[in-house]
Amino acid sequence: MKLKLTQLAIGLLAAGVCLSAAAQQGVTDTEIVIGDIVPLTGPPALLGVAHNLGVKVAVAEVNAVGGINGRKVRLISEDDGYVPSRTIQGVRKLINSDKVFALTSVSGTAQAKAAMPLIMQSGLPAMAPITTYEGLYKPAIKNVFAVGYDMADAVDELVAKMAGRYPGKKWALISQDDDYGENVRTGFERAAKAKKLQVVSTQIYKKGQTDFSSEILKVRQAGAEALLAGGVLGENVAMVKELERIGHKIPVGVTYVSRVPASAKLMGTAGENVYTVDYVYLESSPQAKGFMDKLTKFLSPEELARTNRYSFTGYAATRALFDAMGRCGKALTWDCTNAELTKVSNLETGSMTPISFSATNHLAAPKLFLLKADPAAATYKTVE
Amino acid sequence: MNYFIELVVSGLAVGAIYGLVAMGFAVIYKATGIVNFAQGEMGMLSAYTTWALATTLGTGSVWTVLLAVVIGALLGLICERLIMRPMLGEPVLSVVLVTVGLAVVLRSVVTIIWGASPHKFEVAGADDIVRMGDIGLRVSQLGVLGALLLAVAGFWYFLGHSRFGVAMRAVAADEKTARLMGVSTARVQAVAWASASGLAGLAGALFAVIYGLTPTVFELGLKAFPATVLGGFDSVLGSGVSGLIIGVFENLVGGYLSSTLKDVAGFTLILVVLMVRPFGLFGEKRIERV
Amino acid sequence: MRSGYFKEHYSGLVVLTDSPAVKAWVAALLVVLIAAPFLLGNFALSHLTIILFTVVGVLGLTVLTGFAGLISLGHVGFLMLGAYAYAIGVTRLGLPPELALVMSAVVPAFCGLLVGIPSLRLHGLYLAITTLAFSHIVSAAILAGGNFTGAGRGIMVPRPSILGFDLSSDRAFYWFCLIMCALAVLITLNLRRSSFGRALVALRDNDIAARTMGVNLMRYKLLAFLISAALTGIAGALMGIYMSIVSVEGFPFLLSIEALAIIIVGGLGSVLGAVLGAVFIVSLPEMFSALVQLLGGRLQDVMTSSAHEVKSVLYGLAIIGFLRFDPRGLRGIWHDIRHTWVFWPLRY
Repeated sequence: MKLKLTQLAIGLLAAGVCLSAAAQQGVTDTEIVIGDIVPLTGPPALLGVAHNLGVKVAVAEVNAVGGINGRKVRLISEDDGYVPSRTIQGVRKLINSDKVFALTSVSGTAQAKAAMPLIMQSGLPAMAPITTYEGLYKPAIKNVFAVGYDMADAVDELVAKMAGRYPGKKWALISQDDDYGENVRTGFERAAKAKKLQVVSTQIYKKGQTDFSSEILKVRQAGAEALLAGGVLGENVAMVKELERIGHKIPVGVTYVSRVPASAKLMGTAGENVYTVDYVYLESSPQAKGFMDKLTKFLSPEELARTNRYSFTGYAATRALFDAMGRCGKALTWDCTNAELTKVSNLETGSMTPISFSATNHLAAPKLFLLKADPAAATYKTVE
Repeated sequence: MNYFIELVVSGLAVGAIYGLVAMGFAVIYKATGIVNFAQGEMGMLSAYTTWALATTLGTGSVWTVLLAVVIGALLGLICERLIMRPMLGEPVLSVVLVTVGLAVVLRSVVTIIWGASPHKFEVAGADDIVRMGDIGLRVSQLGVLGALLLAVAGFWYFLGHSRFGVAMRAVAADEKTARLMGVSTARVQAVAWASASGLAGLAGALFAVIYGLTPTVFELGLKAFPATVLGGFDSVLGSGVSGLIIGVFENLVGGYLSSTLKDVAGFTLILVVLMVRPFGLFGEKRIERV
Repeated sequence: MRSGYFKEHYSGLVVLTDSPAVKAWVAALLVVLIAAPFLLGNFALSHLTIILFTVVGVLGLTVLTGFAGLISLGHVGFLMLGAYAYAIGVTRLGLPPELALVMSAVVPAFCGLLVGIPSLRLHGLYLAITTLAFSHIVSAAILAGGNFTGAGRGIMVPRPSILGFDLSSDRAFYWFCLIMCALAVLITLNLRRSSFGRALVALRDNDIAARTMGVNLMRYKLLAFLISAALTGIAGALMGIYMSIVSVEGFPFLLSIEALAIIIVGGLGSVLGAVLGAVFIVSLPEMFSALVQLLGGRLQDVMTSSAHEVKSVLYGLAIIGFLRFDPRGLRGIWHDIRHTWVFWPLRY
């Protein structure tokens, strides 16, 4: 009895050792496995599911032409519900249990921060198209590549552009009490200082708040003539509708997180003076036509209804990853992929402005353009 | 002065929604002695179902509201019959946990069927703004206030003057004696759940019309829970009024102090009130005999 | 099968168990747990670590709600306080990790005293709301704390070395959590058997009668809050170290509800129930993941997003089903299994 147990134990240990001594994980002669960790449930699912669909389209597109160097790509998606502890668990599972070759997302800001030690330690290539906080790319991490615009910079540019259109106005800021809100505040302060804006009111609200009557009344009381609404989606809609209700029609700036069709529709008539900036092509623009066709080709109608700008960024980041992986040829390793990613230059994906990385710059900084909401068409249109 | 009035009026509009849900909590507690943690979720599911039916049938505003109440009541009856009836007689904490499980299920069901994107709950004319002097309120917000007043008046009459309402109060006071008197506890429980869920459905639908239909509408329940506590768990009318109190107090704090204190202010108010009146503003004092 | 209950010394009456079979089984369990890092993969090991510190936190709640009958909806507040006390102690105040760990028990304990004061006046659900209010106030205070508490950004916590042992490897941290969990279980078990525990149970069953029998309500209620908060605070610190980041987002209200679900599904008022409940509830999502994967590869592909909601639905249904069909909880089932094992093939 004792001998059998010892033999069993030794056998298990040996098997474990053998399995771990395998070649580069996630790559076989016929298949490459990649992982996606995003919020697929709860309110952030709006962006998580859309991103996931964008990645799926990239995978389907590359598999339709035989895969990368003859290897088909398989995607494993993990849901972290936008909770950092679940992100850690999910990333652990993807890297250690599912043995993926690369990650196509690292979820949101707090989530990425929590999982970053794991990702850095393992060294697998990781794309970050959803969050763009400074620590992600400054200093450049060997295996992490961000696609997007720094939220603080985006807010800075938005306020600057709006101040250019509406000079001499008194400004107000309403922002959230978390990381995202901090970024908004940083960007706003930078623009206010640069353009010497007169800021009459700054308020911070608790995440998850739905009613903004007191905040907007205070904005009017302070005499503000322009507002930067630093909410995510529903908050901005509520703020804009409150402005309409109390009859205080002033221009409002919102971040690109709000640039989904649902928000313009929800705002209705209140969204007449709403501005935002974005680097992702508008769904209705001629530049995005090719990508929209791809979405229709590879997704079912229900899935198509769930896409938004995050599908564009997910697709673009995955394309960049595949581009680098393709150049590595048959000898597909992490080191090679990371090196090739730094050589990505002006990659046109059809969903956003061209992507470039370099050895020192792991943020594909696209161009921003100003957009204004069009309530009648329930969408946004370019202004410049 | 105008600023103050505006804050109060907006606070009343928000508080009315809390009040409706809080009344639902109180009704169930009064009839069965448990707290229904699925109240917000039932309201959300009713709101979504109403929206789905209203968009396909193309109903007008009044009909949509009535539909919300009916669907809510039906949902309450189904939940009560399938899940709560078998739990009759079990320890209170277990039953409360069952409502928590129910809340999780309902929440997920909504996202499975309708997805995570926000939708606009279109009701003709609901977004129109009615101006009374300097102050403007949307038709939907006036609707909520009206609904709350109707609900409070209705329940006052029901509990005080109708046979079934008195029977409900009897069950709340002493269940065994009520049964000896011929009151059917099961039926009282069913009616309690149906009316609580009807109120929640109404509140959920109106909330969705005002703020948008998203899978976070269930948070309404969590926000209204303090209102029930403030008013007293066994006081239906008190809960309705407390909802208004909390709405106004939060808005005043947000308008005069700071937005970050809004949430905490509500809870601090409750703490202070509870220390003075341990059973809520309008609750009945529990007399314990050893 | 024993046939008698004879003790020769007083120590024999006080010992946790006198049965050699129980001692052997516990020893076997300990050996398996200690050897686990060598037998399990990375993912399973981290899962076990989560179960361990969840048990510590849930034992805290057991002392309060299980033994003393004071329902707490805001226990996540103590968890947060413990985690932040440790994080602030290590990063802002420059304390050694051992001292910071002690702080993560002391700070929540002090706040537990504060929360306990309303408990002298309020009963049942009103007390529950007070604890809920407390957890909201804690999170609001943390968010308003600016750079000291990290406000919205949170605080990054490096893996420490406690008493000379470096905890940066997953294995070392697992063993540390195992030691903490074992200590917590021993403390709670002995607490229950002491006069303090008996006083708490008397409080729960009928507080006015307990008062008549000489149990000082104020003292025991406040002590219950203190000990419960301290235990949960340590669990919070462990959780913070595990996640490497301490932020308000990582401690949602849902955790309070989950903790309550654990002690009720496990069996209210018992340490064994808390442990079994923790294992069950923490493993439930993984079990359903495995189930969904087994049942349909294509099903999972087609509804990847809905599959996660389906998991939540199954989770809720599992809790409902459990409470409906076996109100004694997992502890009752365990006793049935043990009974059958001891008496088989006889029925009694």
